[in-house]
Amino acid sequence: MSAPLPLFSHLSEGASLAVALGIGVAFGAALERAGLGSAKKLVGQFYLTDLTVLKVMFSAIVTAMLGLFWLGRLGIVDLAQVYVPQTYVAPQAMGGAIFGIGFVLAGLCPGTSCVAAATGRGDGAMTVAGMFSGILITGLIFAPIAHFAGSTALGVRTLPQALHLSYGLTVALLAGSALVAFRLADAVERAHRGTGSS
Amino acid sequence: VKPARRWLVAAGLVLAAVAPFAGSPFAAERGRINVPELARQVEHEQDHVTALQLAQWIRARRPRLRILDVRDPVEYDSLHIPGATLVTLDSLADQDLRPDETIVLYSAGGAHAAQAWVFLRALGFHNVYFLRGGIYEWVDEVLLPTLPVDPTAAERQAFSRASELSRYFGGLPRTGVPRAERARSLAQLRRRGC
Repeated sequence: MSAPLPLFSHLSEGASLAVALGIGVAFGAALERAGLGSAKKLVGQFYLTDLTVLKVMFSAIVTAMLGLFWLGRLGIVDLAQVYVPQTYVAPQAMGGAIFGIGFVLAGLCPGTSCVAAATGRGDGAMTVAGMFSGILITGLIFAPIAHFAGSTALGVRTLPQALHLSYGLTVALLAGSALVAFRLADAVERAHRGTGSS
Repeated sequence: VKPARRWLVAAGLVLAAVAPFAGSPFAAERGRINVPELARQVEHEQDHVTALQLAQWIRARRPRLRILDVRDPVEYDSLHIPGATLVTLDSLADQDLRPDETIVLYSAGGAHAAQAWVFLRALGFHNVYFLRGGIYEWVDEVLLPTLPVDPTAAERQAFSRASELSRYFGGLPRTGVPRAERARSLAQLRRRGC
């Protein structure tokens, strides 16, 4: 339940939930501050006029990656305690496609829909309601799709394993590719504003 | 870009650039286990040697043979295999072992030596074996080999090989042992703990 920090390993379940709530609220505040609580801002991603989502999410990934790598290297975080979800190629590809369709339709993803709902936006509240009813319906009809959900299992796969590279080199390559992605995103935004398509 | 953000970006870039040279971020990574490979070796009985095989290695002065006794000092002092070094299980990872050495482990029965085998394989040593029956296998097969009263040709042949080795190690080969007694001693051997 608690984070892989030794600091948190002695906390009770309630206390670690409180820590999780604090981290969640901070994440939500950061998303809102980046303007990601607004569906109008988010759909810019799909019209290629505003790639803020890409930049914010990629920065978050790189920040968390650098933090975990170095905290693990310094012995502050036990990386072996970090839960890594298993890979199921077909069901996760399909789940990703459904997620993407929902993202385009609503203009919000799970995290940003919570942020939108918390700031009182109606579309955010409806997206949260839709998300939870989707989870409920999937749970109720799970038996017929259970076989598919467990198919094409690859077990726990991480990028260093899949690429046969050291952990540190993967970190550097991902950080480098983030820089390239940010540059490309800026170029795409400029090109689309220039042609007046926004 | 504001100066504060410029600093954050610079710090991130430095952390990312140094990462490839920082080693592994996993704390307890002293060893790695290739589970399928180890399982295959156990399945094909490539994980252990018999006491007789070990005796032959010792007599033939096999180069770079290292015998490790993982029992306690009292047991070691009362009897140990010639050339064996006493090591505790928790100091196993700190031993000065070389990858080209043939390492043979034994304990009282077999369990601790088998566990030590897994540890050493996890630390990257490839030529590691253990005595499945422990020091008792050494006593029964090398020091006190027996020939039953009504031996078959194969048993007679095996005994002559074993008794030659046994005498080299100062053992006492015995002939004409009733089969019941032999069976009892083998059963005792199998019942003993680790």
